[in-house]
Amino acid sequence: VGGISSALEESRRSFCFASMRLNGPCKLRTGRAPSPIGLKFFLCFAAALSLGLAKAPGRVVIDETGRRVNIPDNARRVVSLAPSITETIYALGLEDRLVGDTDYCDYPPEAKQKPHVGAVINPNLERIVALKPDLVVGSAEANRRETVDQLDHLGIPLYGLKAQDLDTALKSIDDLGMVLGGEPAARAVLERLRARIKTVEGRVQGQPKPKVLFVVWYRPLITAGPQTFIADVIRHAGGISMGDDLKGEWPHLSVEEVLHRNPEVILFPKSESFSPSLQEFQRLPGWKEFKAVKNQKMYFISDAIMRPSPRLVDALEEVASILHPRPGSRPQ
Amino acid sequence: MVIPPTPRNVLLLLAALSVVLILVAMGALTMGGVRLPFAEIWAGLWGASSSPQAAIIVREIRLPRILLAILVGAALSVAGTGLQALLRNPLADPYVLGISSGAALGAITALWIGGRIAAASPLTAFAGAVLTTLWVYLLGRRAGRLASYTLLLAGVITASFLSAIILFVLTMLSTRDVRGTAFWLMGDLSVVTNFQLRLLLPIVVLAIAALYRFANDLNVLLLGEEEAAHLGVNVVQVETAVYLLASLLTGLAVSVSGAIGYLGLLVPHLGRMALGNDHRTLLPTAALGGAIILVLSDTLARTLVAPSELPVGAVTAVAGAPVFIYLLRRAAR
Repeated sequence: VGGISSALEESRRSFCFASMRLNGPCKLRTGRAPSPIGLKFFLCFAAALSLGLAKAPGRVVIDETGRRVNIPDNARRVVSLAPSITETIYALGLEDRLVGDTDYCDYPPEAKQKPHVGAVINPNLERIVALKPDLVVGSAEANRRETVDQLDHLGIPLYGLKAQDLDTALKSIDDLGMVLGGEPAARAVLERLRARIKTVEGRVQGQPKPKVLFVVWYRPLITAGPQTFIADVIRHAGGISMGDDLKGEWPHLSVEEVLHRNPEVILFPKSESFSPSLQEFQRLPGWKEFKAVKNQKMYFISDAIMRPSPRLVDALEEVASILHPRPGSRPQ
Repeated sequence: MVIPPTPRNVLLLLAALSVVLILVAMGALTMGGVRLPFAEIWAGLWGASSSPQAAIIVREIRLPRILLAILVGAALSVAGTGLQALLRNPLADPYVLGISSGAALGAITALWIGGRIAAASPLTAFAGAVLTTLWVYLLGRRAGRLASYTLLLAGVITASFLSAIILFVLTMLSTRDVRGTAFWLMGDLSVVTNFQLRLLLPIVVLAIAALYRFANDLNVLLLGEEEAAHLGVNVVQVETAVYLLASLLTGLAVSVSGAIGYLGLLVPHLGRMALGNDHRTLLPTAALGGAIILVLSDTLARTLVAPSELPVGAVTAVAGAPVFIYLLRRAAR
């Protein structure tokens, strides 16, 4: 609503200017004032023009979550509602269009300097409106349904991204490029990422696949389900994700079940707020019987694996180097 | 300090509280994640603002939320006052009878089914409240009439049973819905449409007015059911009507705002301490007082951790429990 009404305002203002400029020379050339009918015609035309201007620069697209969104052709003021989206916008070199992001957008470090609109789960609507965005980009994994409904209600277009695996994470980069008019940058980024993925795949091909337990949380033990980009990164890195035959995005696992499945490698995402030592996990009941614990194959990895952005490929390389270390090199 | 409930005093009190409510609402309108000058807010309120952003923030984000806080605060407080009189129990509140748990289960089930039905969660929440109300009503009847202790126990047990089922359904929801539901369970006034407000306003006002018609009967009922019957009160009719009206108010409030605790418990106590036990003054005071307190709480919820927001239920609970303990200790002294 804000965008449209301000566009209307602007078009009205430019109409005033235009009519002054047009009417002036008109009078001089013809030597008489424009007839009332001519004036009416002109007003009609101007009204149609201003309506057209208010609606024209935009198109209706279906976003990744299946919603119909009317997006502007050339989004200039973009608000990101998730760290992964902010990272992608920076990777595409479109950060000058980013007018706001969330409290958790910490990569690249410059993203922390952008005006924040609050937390990912409950961003502040007032802040979003005040930033006058012509497009908000959200994430199906990170944001609440209510936030989407509220922005719809306010008439602020929201393009939703949804990543369930590596392929759709790449597609999100492509789509974001398309939506923001940065297709060439997106193509270049994707080409580099695909090449790196191919290198990893070539390197791990034919190697034995270790069973990997990705620990989202440890009490209770929560792992990544099959339909997550985390599990897909593990698959591409030449491992078997232990959540792959479970249901849901973030399934719970009993320690008994983990003992039965006996993971060979355990991965923990690093985070600033949560940094126990690996020894602490060994003290948890039952854990010291896991093959991964006995063989000291427990690793903290970058939290990039939690973000469907170009850095997901960094995570892929990191996991691959842990699961299949290059001869001579050793993971820390 | 007890104010004699003469018509003049009641009118004066209500006028004073209305003025306070308007001032508090105006104050709340000036606060939020974005700092706006007062002139801008005033202009935005009447649609005359030069900046479309200010107009949207004032008219479509802050104002509906404040109006919702007023309606929900009044509804929960009046329901609590009515139920405490009906059950002759100072611990009764709109949630003790399981109505909010029923509403929560309704909302969560809609999310679980998903798709189009998920969007109708206020509607299924209301359906859950109505069904729970009828169920507890049937359980709470003895020999053809409501028995207050049976009703209270039936409500408490139903509430805990429904909470258990809610936990069960929560484990089956997707992460995204669990997050949304958690906010809802903590009470959240941030999601409201003008359509909901337009629907809510007349029903809440009418239900409060209808409850007020029983104010005298509730006064007499405090003496005991038998005594009230001897004094010519149609006890069955009064109890049924008050129970259904209080449930309607609670169901409406919960379906749009989630479970906001302590308001229905605390506001009647505050009212009785200031005004004594006369429901002719107590009910309207609870309506306005509850509205004032919820607008204040929600303003805190919006601004304490800005630009993020707290769920308002967390604010009312954190502030409500100490106040309740203080009142309890003061009364015991």
